[in-house]
Amino acid sequence: MWTVPKPKYRTGLCAEGEIAVNIGGVRVVLFGEVLNRYPESRLAELLNCSTQNHEVISSLCDDFDPCRKEFYFDRDPEAFKCIIDVYYFGEIHIKPGICPICFIKEMEFWKIDQNVLDECCKSCLSEKEEELTEIANKVKVILEDLEVDECITRTQRCQRFLWRLMEKPGSSLPARIIAIASFLSVLVSAVVMCVGTIPELQVTDAEGKLVEHPVLEGIETACMLWFTAEYFLRLASSPNKLHFALSFMNVIDFMAIMPFYVVLSLTYLGTTSMMELTNVQQAVQALRIMRIARVFKLARHSSGLQTLTYALKKSLKELGLLLMYMGVGIFVFSALAYTMEQSHPETLFRSIPHSFWWAIITMTTVGYGDIYPKTTLGKCNAAVSFLCGVIAIALPIHPIINNFVVFYNKQKVLETAAKHEVELMELKSGKDARRESTSSLSK
Amino acid sequence: MEKSLAELNKAGSRSTSLLPPEPVDIIRSKSCFRRVRLNVGGLPHEVLWRTLDRLPRTRLGKLRDCNAHESLMEVCDDYNLEENEYFFDRHPGAFTSILNFYRTGKLHMMEEMCALSFSQELDYWGIDEIYLESCCQARYHQKKEQMNEELKREADNMKDIEGEEFDNTCCAEKRKKLWDLLEKPGSSIAAKILAIISILFIVLSTIALSLNTLPELQDTDEFGQSSDNPQLAHVEAVCIAWFTMEYLLRFLSSPNKWKFFKGPLNVIDLLAILPYYVTIFLTESNKSVLQFQNVRRVVQIFRIMRILRILKLARHSTGLQSLGFTLRRSYNELGLLILFLAMGIMIFSSLVFFAEKDEEDTKFKSIPASFWWATITMTTVGYGDIYPKTLLGKIVGGLCCIAGVLVIALPIPIIVNNFSEFYKEQKRQEKALKRREALDRAKRNGSIVSMNLKEAFARSAELMDVVIEKSERPHDNHFSPSRWKWTPKRAASETSSNRSFNAQELGSPNKARDTSPQRLNVQKLEEMYNHMAKTQSQPNLNAKDRGSRVGKQRDEIELGAIQDHGPPVLGTREGVGDMKSLSSIDSYISCATDFQENPRFPHGPAMDLGLQESNRFSHSPATALSQHGTAKTGQQTPGEREPMLTPVSITKPSCSENARRFFFSGNSSKTLIPKGGWRNDGGSGPPTLSDSSVISDHSLLSPEVSVYTTASSRTPPKSPESTTLAATVFTFHDSSISKYIDADTDDDEHNRDISDASPTERLLAGSSPKRNININYQKGVNHFETAQKMLGQNCLFPIEGICGVAHENHVGPEMARRPKLERGRQNTLDKSL
Repeated sequence: MWTVPKPKYRTGLCAEGEIAVNIGGVRVVLFGEVLNRYPESRLAELLNCSTQNHEVISSLCDDFDPCRKEFYFDRDPEAFKCIIDVYYFGEIHIKPGICPICFIKEMEFWKIDQNVLDECCKSCLSEKEEELTEIANKVKVILEDLEVDECITRTQRCQRFLWRLMEKPGSSLPARIIAIASFLSVLVSAVVMCVGTIPELQVTDAEGKLVEHPVLEGIETACMLWFTAEYFLRLASSPNKLHFALSFMNVIDFMAIMPFYVVLSLTYLGTTSMMELTNVQQAVQALRIMRIARVFKLARHSSGLQTLTYALKKSLKELGLLLMYMGVGIFVFSALAYTMEQSHPETLFRSIPHSFWWAIITMTTVGYGDIYPKTTLGKCNAAVSFLCGVIAIALPIHPIINNFVVFYNKQKVLETAAKHEVELMELKSGKDARRESTSSLSK
Repeated sequence: MEKSLAELNKAGSRSTSLLPPEPVDIIRSKSCFRRVRLNVGGLPHEVLWRTLDRLPRTRLGKLRDCNAHESLMEVCDDYNLEENEYFFDRHPGAFTSILNFYRTGKLHMMEEMCALSFSQELDYWGIDEIYLESCCQARYHQKKEQMNEELKREADNMKDIEGEEFDNTCCAEKRKKLWDLLEKPGSSIAAKILAIISILFIVLSTIALSLNTLPELQDTDEFGQSSDNPQLAHVEAVCIAWFTMEYLLRFLSSPNKWKFFKGPLNVIDLLAILPYYVTIFLTESNKSVLQFQNVRRVVQIFRIMRILRILKLARHSTGLQSLGFTLRRSYNELGLLILFLAMGIMIFSSLVFFAEKDEEDTKFKSIPASFWWATITMTTVGYGDIYPKTLLGKIVGGLCCIAGVLVIALPIPIIVNNFSEFYKEQKRQEKALKRREALDRAKRNGSIVSMNLKEAFARSAELMDVVIEKSERPHDNHFSPSRWKWTPKRAASETSSNRSFNAQELGSPNKARDTSPQRLNVQKLEEMYNHMAKTQSQPNLNAKDRGSRVGKQRDEIELGAIQDHGPPVLGTREGVGDMKSLSSIDSYISCATDFQENPRFPHGPAMDLGLQESNRFSHSPATALSQHGTAKTGQQTPGEREPMLTPVSITKPSCSENARRFFFSGNSSKTLIPKGGWRNDGGSGPPTLSDSSVISDHSLLSPEVSVYTTASSRTPPKSPESTTLAATVFTFHDSSISKYIDADTDDDEHNRDISDASPTERLLAGSSPKRNININYQKGVNHFETAQKMLGQNCLFPIEGICGVAHENHVGPEMARRPKLERGRQNTLDKSL
């Protein structure tokens, strides 16, 4: 491990300009000039302070043996062996096996700047640190949930109670029931939306037009009312209204509710002939599509979906790559196919934009068969485009999948870690309390 | 010196069954040191007492409060008040992180540590795992859970295997045979054949089932409706009969009926058989036309259930079983997959519905109708029976394709991971099962029984050696980076020994260092040197060639024997030299070589050698001691003493004693306590010394035998011919020493200075060589440069030969031929002197 004639380990008293340190039982003799390369470090300070000044020495090290001139530090010798490298090489590598966080603490003790850590070890450190911050966030959330009601006013207490009821399904039985009810209502409204479009289940209204079955409409209204109530209760109970209104999940909630009321108001306007009826109907049709947003409400109840969105967000670059590959492939192959199929009299490729569709369907290996090449050259082109499509999709998808899997696994780990952290904090706080009590007793 | 010895007697090793130290002594030792030395598995640590006080309820915290010998012994495995050192016989790797917990308040886990063993260490040190920092917590728990799961599964497996007891009811023997025949295809050829027949029947029945639906092969019954082909119906009946018989036989022979009934594979079997009987029952009981339609419908359903029989194949394929298990275990991910698909289908079908619904004669009539399209598109099947026609619809369709590919691909790797893990595990278990069976068989045959004794012996030896080696390694760095290349192990051993000695040093710094008086002539010494140079250089160089070594070893032994006839001193030396080479080789070589050597020693020149060696040792104990690794060093010294003091006594010690002491010495090498014991022995009288020497022999042997095994093999011969053994041991020491010395040559100068500094010590040593030797050893160790000191001392010695050697060392490092080996020899010589 020691590749350079560096520290001397020996018995005798150290000569001028050298100091002997004992780190947790490992004795090292260090050259002063080497230590002075980092004058802010603890060892350099120790070297520079006079041996007579015992207060300074005791502030710098844990023990001092005046006859042997040996400074004792109650620290980890393993980490020190790595840290001492900085004086010789100007960089530090974390010894594999030592936890980076723990190592950083050691570096802080020796008053060595983190910047000297080599790049290769920094990444590993930052990874750990990220993980820690994530855990800390989780812990904060959990702690917030556990926080005892210390609100002074009654309204605040009510607010907190409501918040927990609506947002934390794990906190109590009613909260869980509410969560399940909300989940079911999402499902029901989605089903109703789909079923409502089946012609057999529709009824003709006075003008001979097909409209949704009144029963379905009733269910739909009930669901919408439930969603609305839920949304406003949440909004009312949230500690930070603006933050709440802008968060992703709540935007979706709002999008799911809003069309219903817009349609209601539009039809009211239409019936009161304040607007053109046809215009109203078109607008209503357009807003119907917005109902789809309610499906996304499921994301609130599924951590898997949240992971998916997170992974997609994280791998936007790869998604862009995927789309770019597909775009290039579609353009190239549709153009090729168009030109090759020109010779055929009954070609299905009427223009390049028309053949875009064919290219997509072929490259994604869907192959409806509504458009297909008829000339030999075109068929060869189709085969190539199919192969290229498979590759173009498979390549960028891999990192996306990787991201997803990593997040999925990490999520699980983080949850347990956060739980543990909370336990640890409880334990520590309990111990502190005990210590306080014992100390007071002793007094 | 006297005083220190007395103290050592008190505080030192309990191996010599001395009185335990008084609580007063313990308290005093604790109060006069601010720090404490903790030796964990050979790795010394130094820590402030107040650091340990931070966690008073843990083992180390209790150490502070224990003031009586008994309570102290409960907390630690051994201690030495003189050196203020406490020994714990635990894994040193985990201890560093645990000690850091005291220092920093943060418990981190070494990355390469096994979670289970770490948790055991935590238990031992009395630290709750909950203190683990969150950065390591996740890893720890994950690993632990994984391991626990695996262990549980293994335990279940074991239970399954052991749970099959047929003791309770009649004809248990026959039932067991039947059970094995039906359930364990690997148990016999008949069972295998049965399994193959069963598979064939399954395949046949499924083929028949499929053929039955071919219109060409179907008959029409009286109602004009198609019915089964009579031939195929016969096949079906035969198959069902076979299945039924199989199921019933299994049921009858099963040891636990209810468990059998519940087993998933057996449920499948039952479901494969039942539909047939239900169909027959229904058709036979309801012949009236009125109910016939209803019955037919029911029968149709039961027909479908016949498909289940294909699952019967799972019984014969671990792959299918692990698929089933995977699906069960990853239902979370499967749910996710389905959820993703469902959401995608919902969204895209409604989008495409709104895009396409104004198109005339569109097939997207409603959202449920376009579900089909979305499914077929998302899974990229694309039948083409329904496809978008408007531009908007086509855009939606394109997005749907890409989203489908993405969404399906996402959760699948997790499931695949589960599967591969389980599959691997299954494979591993199968292998483990086979191994266990083989082991059982071997036990039954009795071939293993004889091995066990040996193993037990070897294991104890292994334990020691391993610990020593581990402990040594970290120190190496400090001492001699340059040496690493060729003698890492030795260097390590040196360092460790040095450390352990350090502790002792405090207690008795100024005892006589120097080696014993010297009876050797210069000529003899030189002869020895030459001889050693020849023998050693080669073995060291090709440490890995067993064959060559063995041959050399033999030669060496022979030489030793020959020389025995000449002047005793010479003979011994030569023998030693040979032995050294052997020992060095041995340490590298595994048990096989050791075995070879062992027999030789007792039979051959061992006796002579032993005597000679003893002489030689008396000549130069100090040097030998200084250079050895911890275990070796401690042991060596006593060994040397013995010959000098009481050759007769050697015969005394019994095997058991040896073993015990041996073990102790191994520990002691680290803890230093044993050394104290040694001293005591020397002081007290010859018999104890002899014991110690025996021990030393063992320890010496241990390097040869090394971690691997064979210690046991040797032990038996030793007891009867303790002298011979001792001799062998000594030789080994020498060799090891020589190696160490080689490493240390660089530091010679320092040593000399030191040695010069204390002439009185030397004189003392001369007067009482035994004790002196020990002391020297310790001192040297303390300074970390024991080897060097020794060398220096040697140089100073009155004997000319020695001086010459020493000089050579200093000069010699640059010489091409000698460097390592010669130095080593020189050192050994010095020691002998």
